Amino acid sequence: MNILETQSLTKIYGSGETMVHALDDVNLEIKRGEFVAVVGMSGSGKSTLLHMLGGLDRPTKGSVHVDGKEIFQLNEEQLTIFRRRKIGFVFQNYNLVPILTVYENIVLPIQLDGNIPDKAYLDQIIHTLGLEQKLNNLSNNLSGGQQQRVAIARALAFKPAIILADEPTGNLDSKTSQDVLSLLKVTSQKFGQTIVMITHNEEIAQLADRIIHIEDGKIVGGALA
Amino acid sequence: MIKVKNNKVIANLAKRSFQSNPTRNCIAIFAIALTTMLFTTLFTITGTILHSYQQATFRQVGGDFHGGFKYITKEILDTLSKDPLIKESGARLILGMPADVPFHKAHVEVSYMDEVCVKSSFCIPDVGSLPKEGTNEMACDTRVLKLLGIEPKIGQQITITYRLGLDTNSAKSVTDTFTLSGWWNYDAASYASHIIVPLSYANNTLASYEKIHEKDKTGSWTLNVYLKNAAHIEDDLNTILERNGYQSKDQSTNNYIGIGINWAYVGAQLSQNIDAGTFILILLLLLLIIFTGYLIIYNIFQISVSNDIRFYGLLKTIGTTGKQMKKLILQQALLLSTLGIPIGLLLGYLCGNILAPVIMSTLSYKNVFVTTNPLIFAGAILFSLVTVFISCKKPGKIASKVSPIEAVRYTERTNVKKTNRKNKEHLNLFQMAFANLSRNISKTVLVVISLSLAVVLLQLTVLFTNGFDMEKYLQKNVVSDFIVANASYFQTNADFFSQETALPEEVIKDLEEQGTFTDSGRIYGATSNIKEFTEKDWYYQLHGKYNDKDTVTQMLEGEDTKEGLVTDDAQLYGMEKYPLDQLTVVEGDLSALYDSSQNAIAAVYHTDDYNVLEPDSHWAKVGDQVTLRYVDTMEYYDPQTGEVVTDITNVDEASLALRPSTYRDITYTVAACVTMRHSMSYRYYGTDAFVLNAKVFQKDSNTSGIMTYLYDTTKETNAAMEAFLKDYTENIEPTLDYESKQSYMDEFKEFKNMFLLLGSVLSAIVGFVGILNFLNAILTSIMARQREFAMLQSIGMTGKQLNQMLVFEGLIYTAFVIGISLILSLIMGPMFRKVLESILWFFTYRFTLLPIIVVTPIFILLGIVLPLVSYRFSSNHTIVERLRKSE
Repeated sequence: MNILETQSLTKIYGSGETMVHALDDVNLEIKRGEFVAVVGMSGSGKSTLLHMLGGLDRPTKGSVHVDGKEIFQLNEEQLTIFRRRKIGFVFQNYNLVPILTVYENIVLPIQLDGNIPDKAYLDQIIHTLGLEQKLNNLSNNLSGGQQQRVAIARALAFKPAIILADEPTGNLDSKTSQDVLSLLKVTSQKFGQTIVMITHNEEIAQLADRIIHIEDGKIVGGALA
Repeated sequence: MIKVKNNKVIANLAKRSFQSNPTRNCIAIFAIALTTMLFTTLFTITGTILHSYQQATFRQVGGDFHGGFKYITKEILDTLSKDPLIKESGARLILGMPADVPFHKAHVEVSYMDEVCVKSSFCIPDVGSLPKEGTNEMACDTRVLKLLGIEPKIGQQITITYRLGLDTNSAKSVTDTFTLSGWWNYDAASYASHIIVPLSYANNTLASYEKIHEKDKTGSWTLNVYLKNAAHIEDDLNTILERNGYQSKDQSTNNYIGIGINWAYVGAQLSQNIDAGTFILILLLLLLIIFTGYLIIYNIFQISVSNDIRFYGLLKTIGTTGKQMKKLILQQALLLSTLGIPIGLLLGYLCGNILAPVIMSTLSYKNVFVTTNPLIFAGAILFSLVTVFISCKKPGKIASKVSPIEAVRYTERTNVKKTNRKNKEHLNLFQMAFANLSRNISKTVLVVISLSLAVVLLQLTVLFTNGFDMEKYLQKNVVSDFIVANASYFQTNADFFSQETALPEEVIKDLEEQGTFTDSGRIYGATSNIKEFTEKDWYYQLHGKYNDKDTVTQMLEGEDTKEGLVTDDAQLYGMEKYPLDQLTVVEGDLSALYDSSQNAIAAVYHTDDYNVLEPDSHWAKVGDQVTLRYVDTMEYYDPQTGEVVTDITNVDEASLALRPSTYRDITYTVAACVTMRHSMSYRYYGTDAFVLNAKVFQKDSNTSGIMTYLYDTTKETNAAMEAFLKDYTENIEPTLDYESKQSYMDEFKEFKNMFLLLGSVLSAIVGFVGILNFLNAILTSIMARQREFAMLQSIGMTGKQLNQMLVFEGLIYTAFVIGISLILSLIMGPMFRKVLESILWFFTYRFTLLPIIVVTPIFILLGIVLPLVSYRFSSNHTIVERLRKSE
């Protein structure tokens, strides 16, 4: 079953002379539990694609189905709630809340939804990501690699339908990158988590189950599962 | 060092960076305009007050010239006026002064003035023109026309009688008819009115006049001068005299020329006008404005630099120096200033001109002279630029110090390193809001303090004015519903009471005819010299309060002695029943004074402002014998020889002394010691006072000058009586005046309102600054957290939750402000009470928290609305745009 599906997804920026097709008629299918890498040069449209998949931006044309739901039929508020329940983000620059502790950052999406975190599950994630000792630290006192682990933990916490990772190792050195990537891989397998990762690095992409290539807003390979 | 021509590149970069930040620019321009506006307003108000004060002084002095040479001949005038120190000069030829009705109360001078003199003396006709030479035309001010009862119309025939010979008894009276050629409006601030005649007329008139007295000013010239430099007027005037062989020091020699210095220019003037308190107030306001401006502008640039830090890092990477980076930021700031400052200047000037008259009316200035002194604008521009420069300093430094690598990773640092917060299971938006405020504690504290300050100020103002006790004030000052007397009685600097200023009996008849009196009575005052006998020690004690010992000894020599006692001037009242009823008996029994057949007298003691008796304010005790000397005639004598001088026509009056020649001594018994309220007294002090029965007073003193007439009317007719008196004293008997209970109440209310206004204006300014700081803190913190908010939204925080968190932040501010204000008010209230009760005798402490209660909902509203509006204003980008902002 496809956890994620796009149909004729198109995003156009500007108009007339300066019109740019950031995404051009993208059709994509991703199965539950898959670890997919989207690879492309800068400006190829991979970030735009990720934003569309996560409901951060609205397309010019086409649709995105997450877990069987057409997400752009939701209004802003509904979309936000859908996002925090179904989609976990991991950004290149971590995007943690500096005034909150590591633990508070991890459980933030759950608490925003008004729920009580599943303690056992959380302990498992925290253990897997090796964050036991850092839980009460403020997030901006951590190193880049640690911050990204917190971001991954936060994305996992809600048991989302998909995790969208945007160049998760872009700001990290190669050793730390390896750690983070293997953690992503491990979580994908251990928790059966669907992960879509964007990268421009073919080598990193090799870790994924499937690689989707994108060029000039069009998918040139690996679109179908 | 190689000087590289890179200014253009920097300017271009500055311009581009400028264009890419429209939101920041709007806020920055607004902030700069606001700062400039505050400066301009402050300077305009101060400038207008100083300018108006100087203009009023000019009018009092009679001109805006720097100084002048007085009473000189035409020849001397021509010589002196050519002196190189003089920039411009105006000449005036003095003829004389009209002294008969209707001019007996007004100082009016008839003279010729040349054009410069006319201009400098504010005598340029508003209507018509100056008199033409060779005609019988004249120009004068509206007061002269009003006194004459002549309608201002060009061509009116006016007959004026005036005296030639200003200080001699042998004045020659001249009557001439003139044609009115023009007039100007009389300014209440000026002392003298002018009638200007042509030089030809003046010369003709003087041709038939012979000076008898050496010092006669008629026919003499005055040279009013503008010097090249107003800094040392007196020295310059003396230099001019010396160069031409004259001097101003020794009057007895014949090369003496009197000089006059316009004291409106005296250097110390400024410091005299602005007392230390005002100066400190202005200084504090300046600092407050600089501080507010700094906070806002600094924050904007700080955030702008933080947001663009990668841009600056990039510039650094490609070789932009730190100095260039600072320049880049400064140039943007200057560009913003060129837009913001003019707006601020315009708004500030308008604001200042609206506010200045309001403030000046509370300072009891009559005329407002609007000033467009360029210094106001120069000052405002200077201070605004200084504020902008200071504000850019730190952001510039941050940008210049940025290392290319760091810039890529830059996130705003928070000061909090560790937290003891327990991890909670439930999300607490309130806790998050609280944590957000503790990110920048100093800013939060500042906002809270500046807002609290405004509330506390308002609270104290209200406490202060609320304590003004009308009852206390009236009890001390008001004796009866109405007091009627000669106008001079009510003036603080008036002459002593005399037969001329006594109240005519017909007036009382006119008043009584109104038929609404409930009670009334006369107070007679002494119109002849009345003396008491007292001990020498007392004499020294009494007069020693105002004079040094040698002077008192000298005074004592002029007094008569009898049985070991010396004479001393005394104040004696003759009172009818009603005023007697108004006295407060301290000791003894006043009933004997109601009986005109008894020889009883009351001694008047003083009380202080708090109505506490001063037991040493009189020597007489109940039962003492008081001998009064009623003086019928006085004589001049030479204090050197003791000889009586009968003919004083050829003697200098100053060398003679006066003493009683015929008199009667009458002894009374003190029946009571009393106190009386100021408003029924002679209203001047310095001698012992006694009260007699009105009939006894008239019989013994042989005088019956009514000083005041006191009366009450029925409540319903008070207003009608007030209206009647107003009309009566203005139109029927203009030499009379009155005071009423109502006028005291109005005066008191006005006094109270003045403080209320001043306090409220001050609180409003501080409050405005506080709210600006509040808005600024919230707006900048939202702007700085745009990416964070985007991230929070990307992981699922709804707009509602975000708004809720921001509202919590605003409300935490509000809660702190109200809490701190409340605590400060509760602490300061009692302290305030002690100070005020010791300063103001009419103060009754009445505690109230009304201001805080009124302000609380407003602040709660602000705490809710400001964050919501700020967020709406700054969040018009999509999440993706905001997430990308610093990538």
